[in-house]
Amino acid sequence: MELPVLNDQPESKGESGCSAGSCGSTDDQLDHLSDEIREKVQNHPCYSEDAHHYFARMHVAVAPACNIQCHYCNRKYDCANESRPGVVSELLSPQQAVKKTMAVAANIPQMTVLGIAGPGDPLANLERTFETFQTLSRDAPDIKLCVSTNGLALPDAVEELAKHNIDHVTITINCVDPEVGAKIYPWIYWNNRRIKGKKAAKILIKQQQKGLEMLVAKGILVKVNSVMIPGVNDQHLAEVSRIVKEKGAFLHNVMPLIAEAEHGTFYGVMGQRGPTADELQALQDSCSGDMNMMRHCRQCRADAVGMLGEDRGDEFTMDKIEDMDIDYQAAMVKRKVIHQAIEAEMNEKRASKEEHTIALPKLNTRPVLMAVATSGQGVINMHFGHAKEFLIYEASSEGARFISHRKTELYCSGDDSCGEAETALEKNIRTLEGCEVVLCSKIGFEPWEQLEAAGIQPNGEHAMEDIEAAVMAVYLEMAEAGKLDETTQQKRANA
Amino acid sequence: MSLSIIESCVNCFACEPVCPSEAIYEAKPHFLINSKKCTECEGDFADPQCATICPIEGAILNALGEAINPPGSLTGIPPEKMAEAMAELQAH
Ligand code: SF4
Ligand code: SF4
Ligand code: SF4
Repeated sequence: MELPVLNDQPESKGESGCSAGSCGSTDDQLDHLSDEIREKVQNHPCYSEDAHHYFARMHVAVAPACNIQCHYCNRKYDCANESRPGVVSELLSPQQAVKKTMAVAANIPQMTVLGIAGPGDPLANLERTFETFQTLSRDAPDIKLCVSTNGLALPDAVEELAKHNIDHVTITINCVDPEVGAKIYPWIYWNNRRIKGKKAAKILIKQQQKGLEMLVAKGILVKVNSVMIPGVNDQHLAEVSRIVKEKGAFLHNVMPLIAEAEHGTFYGVMGQRGPTADELQALQDSCSGDMNMMRHCRQCRADAVGMLGEDRGDEFTMDKIEDMDIDYQAAMVKRKVIHQAIEAEMNEKRASKEEHTIALPKLNTRPVLMAVATSGQGVINMHFGHAKEFLIYEASSEGARFISHRKTELYCSGDDSCGEAETALEKNIRTLEGCEVVLCSKIGFEPWEQLEAAGIQPNGEHAMEDIEAAVMAVYLEMAEAGKLDETTQQKRANA
Repeated sequence: MSLSIIESCVNCFACEPVCPSEAIYEAKPHFLINSKKCTECEGDFADPQCATICPIEGAILNALGEAINPPGSLTGIPPEKMAEAMAELQAH
């Protein structure tokens, strides 16, 4: 039986945005999209699993105010679930934001997308947000703009959003039922009053749904983010997924609640737990159906700069930017050349993958989850102890499928905080729960032993190799060794 | 008569654009209310707008110096629960 290494449909076209059938946007799903939409997704790191290995995004924090309160957010910090908590972003004026964006775009030509996502709600800061967008769509037309919102002020902003270079809007929708909403949102600011409880949730939900419909009608792509809160909306999110999909949302991204007491959020202080990696994955699987699910989201902080999963913000602080002299016209020419080269490389890689399909013997084996340590480019190139996150792949007789990424705590930080190293390593191993193999470029003796003891096989033999190819090679070895014969095991691949 | 903003303000900007009297201004270390301009929103709105959108309990005081949004009123976190959680963190 001939099987592609990737989940590529045989008839898949080379030019579509993403070739891994696993990611937010599969070939299959892209194929029936218009060329216009496909083009919008092609080089957007957040929308295309493939693109995020090559293209970078940045966020600017121009919009600190918010018009609602979420129980997972403490406004003393960045929005806990739309960015990394506890790190206050550098607040920029619209002029500074424009300057920073152009400086980054000139220095990191892979940067294709500028997002405004907080720390508050961009649409509760209409003037600051639109001034930034207006200037950029005029002076840096090769940058895609996107915005994230809680949706309360969205219907009134759609008209203006459509005027700028805005292809994408992200709406955080955690519920469609005011009963559930009342447990997530303590209050909203609406028509000059503070409104609480179910009444508040009802208004918010109505505005979100209306905003979604209006955006879709205008041809603007909509991604819906949902925060999974066990015991609050976990049972409800499949319904949310169904409804937003019906209304034409392009992607649904279910993210885990982050709730630590030290963030001072309602959930943190009241002891609300976040979902386990397994629970999150099960929900993502049940929501996926024929819906595009985004699984490579990194919940980046509100002023992150660089490829997904990395943050080069420190190179572009305001004082450093003041000293930079940017010739954006020249930069645009350079950017264009580099973007074309990247797209050519992506296409080539895709084509060569289609060629190098591995001939799998007819297998009747169960699927296996594997964790991969990588810093990008689609290869295994991270030391186990340096990995800040693992990509989770499912290998089965159907091929390799990207499932999600899981964040870790670094257990080897290299400084003298190593006193807690053991517990951190244990924590890391717990992050890998459900995986049977971990692929990395290298791994130390101690973690090796502990992983084995936890029933996870470490593997450093495929360093620098293509992830999917390595995952399938290991899977085949396991199959040949007769480790995968329990055919009764439920196949995730078919779920 | 005027409202005032105290040091627990986190400079989130929310209050500034909603003030009908342009009484609120960005200042260091936190936003301030110009007491000559503040009308307590009388004649414009039923509730003082700044205190109605401010997400931080205790950051805005009324003319008598009392918190308009006392502890627990916005987040729903009972003050003793908050104290407990913070004490626990300090102990670490
Ligand atoms: S919408 Fe975002 S910034 Fe506003 S309270 Fe919710 S999480 Fe925080
Ligand atoms: S009470 Fe009204 S007028 Fe006074 S500062 Fe607040 S918003 Fe402005
Ligand atoms: S809304 Fe409250 S926290 Fe925000 S700037 Fe005004 S006083 Fe400060």
